Amino acid sequence: MFKDLDPILHSQLRLAVMSLLISVKEAEFTFIKEKTNATAGNLSVQVQKLKEAGYIDVVKEFKDNYPNTTCKITKKGIKAFEEYVNTLQQYLNVKK
Amino acid sequence: MNQEELSTEKSLKLINRMIYEARGYFYESGLSALVYGITIFFCSLLAYAMAKGFMQLAFTPFWLLVPVFFVQAFIQMREEKKKKVKTFTDETIDYIWMGYFLTVIIAACFAGITYKSVTVFLFLTAYASFITGMITKFTYHKIVGVLCMVIAAYSFYQQDETIFLLLALVAILVWIIPSFILRAYFNKQNKIPGNDSLSAGESM
Repeated sequence: MFKDLDPILHSQLRLAVMSLLISVKEAEFTFIKEKTNATAGNLSVQVQKLKEAGYIDVVKEFKDNYPNTTCKITKKGIKAFEEYVNTLQQYLNVKK
Repeated sequence: MNQEELSTEKSLKLINRMIYEARGYFYESGLSALVYGITIFFCSLLAYAMAKGFMQLAFTPFWLLVPVFFVQAFIQMREEKKKKVKTFTDETIDYIWMGYFLTVIIAACFAGITYKSVTVFLFLTAYASFITGMITKFTYHKIVGVLCMVIAAYSFYQQDETIFLLLALVAILVWIIPSFILRAYFNKQNKIPGNDSLSAGESM
């Protein structure tokens, strides 16, 4: 019996954001935008969804007089990401 | 990036690509290493000149490292602010060198700058350099780490004023040369459009 894939993570942009954040301590919004090639508006919406799910922490502050947003994955986010990858691997094993 | 349907293969490919992208991030101007390297180099030469009787100072030249420590801390803080990403590797390297400098300062305070303690500092430098090379996969640091161990071992048989020349040599190898390598890489990377560290375009 397979587990369903987490609908929060099973979206291209949200998964890309989580994959970036899982490998670093924290990353700025501009860095995530640059690496995912997403528009600022779309990325803001997806980041907000991840935040609401408790998968990431978002800190807004000023840096050199410019607004700066930093994102960091939470423990809940790490657990959800690991479960998502494990489920993906189960699906792939069956396909083989 | 749009919101198209994800297959299992696509998902795994995306995860791999993003992890690779995040790990490739690098922001290090090499300025702090250069400041430390040059100071240690000149302090070693001054210590050698004093030990040889060529000149006299009212204090041990290595005390000059104390004000430089504050200058370096200021440079480090400025560079940290410019980083778009904080990686686990950066954090680990910072802890290694912080531990190194604390150990050296405490040892110098209690044992003084004797020839034997310089040998210990050379071993510590070799160890920190080697570990840095292993973590960052920077081959230069790995080779220099091993080379410094050889220099440190040799210094056991060179317990006289020439040990300060060995320390000066180590400063060139461990800090000054890598700082130029890092600087060149940093300049090359910042020439690529979109790789600058300005936070323009922020929308959240």
